[in-house]
Amino acid sequence: MVEILEETKGKDGRKILKVAKENLIALLSELKSQGYNHLSLITGVDRKDRLEVVYHLHNMAENKYIVVKTETFDERVPSATSLFSSANWDEREQYDLMGIVFEGHPNLKRMFLPENWVGHPLRKNYDLSKVQYINMDENGEDYATFDPGDGW
Amino acid sequence: MNAPQSIPENAKWVELNFGPQHPSTHGVLRLRAKLEGEIVRELEPIIGYLHRNAEKICELDYYCDAMIYFDRMDYVGAMNMEVGYLEAAEKLLGIPPPERAQWIRVIMAELNRIASHLVWAGAFGLDIGMLTPFFYCFVEREKILRIFAEACGSRQETNYMSIGGVYQDFNEKIIYMIEEFINQFPKKLEDIFNAFVKNDIFISRNKGIGILEPEVAIDYGVTGPMLRASGVEYDVRKAEPYLVYDKLNFDIPVSYKKDNLARFLVRFEEMRQSIKILKQAIKKIPDGPYFNPKAKKSLMIRLRGEGEVYARTESSKGEFGVYLVGDGGVKPYRVRVRSPTFKNLSVLPVLAKDQMIADMIAISGTIDLVFGEVDR
Repeated sequence: MVEILEETKGKDGRKILKVAKENLIALLSELKSQGYNHLSLITGVDRKDRLEVVYHLHNMAENKYIVVKTETFDERVPSATSLFSSANWDEREQYDLMGIVFEGHPNLKRMFLPENWVGHPLRKNYDLSKVQYINMDENGEDYATFDPGDGW
Repeated sequence: MNAPQSIPENAKWVELNFGPQHPSTHGVLRLRAKLEGEIVRELEPIIGYLHRNAEKICELDYYCDAMIYFDRMDYVGAMNMEVGYLEAAEKLLGIPPPERAQWIRVIMAELNRIASHLVWAGAFGLDIGMLTPFFYCFVEREKILRIFAEACGSRQETNYMSIGGVYQDFNEKIIYMIEEFINQFPKKLEDIFNAFVKNDIFISRNKGIGILEPEVAIDYGVTGPMLRASGVEYDVRKAEPYLVYDKLNFDIPVSYKKDNLARFLVRFEEMRQSIKILKQAIKKIPDGPYFNPKAKKSLMIRLRGEGEVYARTESSKGEFGVYLVGDGGVKPYRVRVRSPTFKNLSVLPVLAKDQMIADMIAISGTIDLVFGEVDR
């Protein structure tokens, strides 16, 4: 049995379980064996001093929903790709936009933005005043630059 | 530019770049395929060419302003996106819509579901070389867009619903237009349907191609018509009814064939079910206010929400979820969107593996890609 730090209910009536990030994979695999086979959504929330990662799990057969929450102070969370294939693209997206590093992910590249983009846009301290432009190099790879003359 | 290099004689595979500006990729999908002869051995989708980061823009605006960015996610099914956002926002802000507004929303969402499926059917025909059904599909879609233009003044990005209700009430003319549409549409739908299925080339290009096993589909988070075509009976309208879907009588079409043709048939059957819903809804729509007085337009920017809400709805592509976090301020703290096509696209490398490259086009056509929603 995995140690649950806190059990609450959201405004929409869904059960929310809070765990330490060391116990996250153990809890997810226990839930998967109980029939929660559909990992619907992975969300990163920037709480300024820490990053919160929220997992929405769905039990297709019994039509039950559960929310698992964990938090991290060093931007690192274990990856759930070994349990759910749908975690692959979701974790890449959260890495791209929120800057959460999922340890153990097989292919942790940026999903939407070019590889050398500076910063993670969904962070609260992201500087929106600095404009970055995108261009393509000779090999067909996108790159980001601060020089307006270089972009399209 | 480098000069094109000749292929070495002992080369095992050829790497092919496909898109982002290719007519059969439904927008700006870019694929990198490793080909062995004409067989796809490895496929890597590259997305992000339409990325605007709507989630961040929504955080910078008031709750009521986020609507127009949701319209532009799935731009062929804008009403479904609005329903999805409002399900979450109204729960968070505590402003339930009145009964009449809920029925109006159901009618508009179902009309848009038909319009979205018609766009898909036409474009899918184009993908595999059928030009004619495209025009028949778009003639019917045009009638739906005229209804939208009558109701809210805009055709595609409608911005019709708002927090607490809808922007304008239905008048006599709109009701008449909808009744006229649902009376003549079933026959037209059969014509379009026959134009597809009575074509031998269409059947032979789709039957048995692109098999998606239900376990794989659930593992990858595939939802919507794609999941139902794999034999899983799951529809959010039945599983967790929102608005007034629990008062309506309709069926969930399911196919156990799992291939391209199954996905085609499920979508056409969904249009027939939508007509069934519309026929009931237009009779049952009650009188009363169409707007909650708690959400007056002058008070709109002072709405404050606290807590967190996850609402899921069935858009024309699949399960559309919106996760809203409020910190008690007038702007949302975090907006997160579960877009169904993003998940459905992630299964394409599995589906297209070891298939002919021409079949890969047909398979990616059945996913129903809309890039406003994949990239957000």
